[in-house]
Amino acid sequence: MDIFLQQLINSLSVASVTILIGMGITLIFGLAGIVNFAHGEFLMVGGMVTWLLVMAGVNFFIAMFGAMAAVGVLGYVAERTLFRFTLNRPMNGFIMSIGLSVILQNVVIKALNEVQKSIPDPIAKVWAIGGVDIIAMRAIVVAITVVVVAITYFGITRSRYGVALRASVSDQDTAALMGIPVRRYVTGVFIYGSVLAGLGGALMIALFPITPFTGSVVIIRGFAVSLIGGLGNVGGAVVGGLVLGLVDALSAQYGYPQWTDAYSLVVMIVILILRPQGLLGGTLGPRAT
Amino acid sequence: MVAARLEITGLRKKFGGVVALAGVDVSIDGSGITGIIGPNGSGKTTLFNVVTGAHKPTAGRVTWNGQDITALPAYRIARLGLVRTFQQAMSYPGLSVRDNVSIGFEHGRSIGSTDRRWRSPDEVLAFVGLDGLGEEVAGSMSFGNLRRLGIAVALAADPVLLLLDEPAAGLSDSEAGDLRELILRFPKMGIGVCLIDHDMALMGAVCDHFIVLNFGTKIAEGAPAEVLQNAKVLEVYLGVDL
Amino acid sequence: MSADQRRDAVAMPGFSANTRKTGSSGWLERPPLDHIVMGVAILAFLIAFPFFNPGYRFLSLAITTGFTAIALYGLALQFGQAGIMSVGHAGIMGIGGYTAAILANQLGIGFWLALPASILLSALAAGLVGLPSLRVGGQHYIIITFCFCALLVIALTNGGDFTGAATGLDVGPIAGPFGINLAKLRNMYYLVMLALVVSLVLTYVIVHSPYGRTLWAIRENEPLARAVGINTNFHKIGVFALSGAFAGAAGILQTYYLRHISPPLYGAFPSLYLALMVMLGGARPLYGPLLGAIIVTFLPEVGGLDPIDSRIAYGVGLLLVILLLPAGVSGGLLGLYRSMIGRQRRAEKG
Repeated sequence: MDIFLQQLINSLSVASVTILIGMGITLIFGLAGIVNFAHGEFLMVGGMVTWLLVMAGVNFFIAMFGAMAAVGVLGYVAERTLFRFTLNRPMNGFIMSIGLSVILQNVVIKALNEVQKSIPDPIAKVWAIGGVDIIAMRAIVVAITVVVVAITYFGITRSRYGVALRASVSDQDTAALMGIPVRRYVTGVFIYGSVLAGLGGALMIALFPITPFTGSVVIIRGFAVSLIGGLGNVGGAVVGGLVLGLVDALSAQYGYPQWTDAYSLVVMIVILILRPQGLLGGTLGPRAT
Repeated sequence: MVAARLEITGLRKKFGGVVALAGVDVSIDGSGITGIIGPNGSGKTTLFNVVTGAHKPTAGRVTWNGQDITALPAYRIARLGLVRTFQQAMSYPGLSVRDNVSIGFEHGRSIGSTDRRWRSPDEVLAFVGLDGLGEEVAGSMSFGNLRRLGIAVALAADPVLLLLDEPAAGLSDSEAGDLRELILRFPKMGIGVCLIDHDMALMGAVCDHFIVLNFGTKIAEGAPAEVLQNAKVLEVYLGVDL
Repeated sequence: MSADQRRDAVAMPGFSANTRKTGSSGWLERPPLDHIVMGVAILAFLIAFPFFNPGYRFLSLAITTGFTAIALYGLALQFGQAGIMSVGHAGIMGIGGYTAAILANQLGIGFWLALPASILLSALAAGLVGLPSLRVGGQHYIIITFCFCALLVIALTNGGDFTGAATGLDVGPIAGPFGINLAKLRNMYYLVMLALVVSLVLTYVIVHSPYGRTLWAIRENEPLARAVGINTNFHKIGVFALSGAFAGAAGILQTYYLRHISPPLYGAFPSLYLALMVMLGGARPLYGPLLGAIIVTFLPEVGGLDPIDSRIAYGVGLLLVILLLPAGVSGGLLGLYRSMIGRQRRAEKG
């Protein structure tokens, strides 16, 4: 059981990264109607930026903000130059995001190389709590995620902007008629989702080495998380991330670890088929009624 | 052969919390022209959707010629001769007019049988007055012709009972007149009609039987003249709408 | 949702003009003259190509183009006719490829007997993978196909000796009939091209038969299609199976050309590239998929790009196609050609 608890905390830290990327996917889908396929690459770029900064001697936690800013700018540019033209044809936007992911992955390979990158542990401590060894960095990753999830959740449910945002998600045309600058919200959400991916990338490289191909692995988990919970539903992404974390922990402990990824994919496909709107019920995109 | 009959018993349909049909019992004669009237939101189109299998009912039973069709998929119901038209999406807009009709012709009830009503898609086009327009792209036609095409697509599938959903909506007076002539020809060919429309002049002129719905229930039925004298109908329907 | 999906489908890139042109009500109308001319020209070129001494490299690329195009014709059928995109097509190819390799390694069955088995199993797999599309639409479904590829790679990698695990499996050369040596590259080239021509003709026949018209009707207005008696679910799964059959044929040809296969060949990224090729070439025009395969296979060689550069180029190309040429490259060229012809005719009249 102790080992399982340790495994669970490890899985939770991995789940944290997936929750961050799942939240980004879900937010962008909710407002722009696009499942951003390049989101995994956004995370990978965030990790690479962190690596570059840390290698240049910058403190990890400052590098983390650097990664968030860099990926935020990336998201802004992508929205302005690409996705704003496909807002009324989400399918085209989705296919463009596939193209974007191919470009980003190969640009990173070209600019750096294919070799995996890692940074020294930002905090190399192990806490022993009640016989369970907890790696400090993992706990910090979980803590940061909890804070970000809380900020996002309250931002959406409580703040004035959040209400306007939800109005735009449920009916863009009416929201626009009521004076809500929907287009600006789309851009804003794109940037916010990208910043979360940048944060996810920084946290990820703090835990594991990453390669230019990390994005394509992460995106599948991001899809799984956001689809299990329900696309467009922020709380759903959290639930999805926890479900996935639990599946991972269980399979690492009791199942065949080499099939770990397969379990989460199967869980996702089964949930999608039984409940296309996800466990918590997502939206079907901004245009569906 | 006994005249075809559509029996609907205790039909209920809920969308989330909204009750669209609250237990409808009707029996529709498959050889006459039955009009279904009622204010907007009274459940007329939902009734069509459920009967033709587009939506599954929450409860209740639909039988057609004694056969239970409640759980059948839409295409099987169509092949039994219950064919409907649509208010809005009437055609396959990217296909030519002839291809539109061919689709119905190739998949309808009498496919493979020797006594088909129509020998070719062009015959259907001529019947509804679209002859010579076979090469046109459906999506580029005038609204009036699109309505005709919608009926032609359904006719080509060789219906026994044709369910027309607001066929006169958006038509000019003269087009509505043509439509009236067209509908009146169906019973003589052995095609029954069940008709939804708000054009009371049209309804009064063609229907031999009225069914009145309100809030998802039947509130009256009978010969048109009778029904229009009914106090309840005057109150909930005509009183509101006129 | 469905109305939106329909609008999406019509507006998706890779689709040429939004109309289907047919003349007679006969079973299969005669192909228009420019199609025949184009077909004969392509055929002549394909036969003559090895005689220009293309060298080992170009002949190999031509073979790759060939089996890739065969797979693309399947994907184009599914995407162009039924309007359902998939990024799991390489996985379906993998089912065909591994079927052949496993039959060869376990039972010693050669190419010709494995061919129908590969086609059949790929068709079956594609039909199964297509099932969720009846419930889950649009982007959600594409993600499912993407996950299918990821699952397949995991399964193949963990398949032990049966699938050769991460190393994969080897197969011998094809035993050619009449003593034809199919280990020789030129002969392999002709075999693949024969299969390509068969795929092209089959595609034409399917698209222009009443079956193609039925598929078209389903894509344009599914509720109406059901209302006149079309079993839409059956036909949709049918298209997936057909599409899978093409992929299966492509998969076995690829296996016997490479003589060695391993899981990464069939993962999510090869699938993405297949989708990208269909978008680049255009799914509706008859020669679109072929053009897509040619562009992507030959670009690195002709443009002198290394694989990384060329992948960036494909990505940029895809973005440009969607933003500027929503009908795909061939659709765009076709539109240009038509408008030029139209202008010429108007000029002659006036």
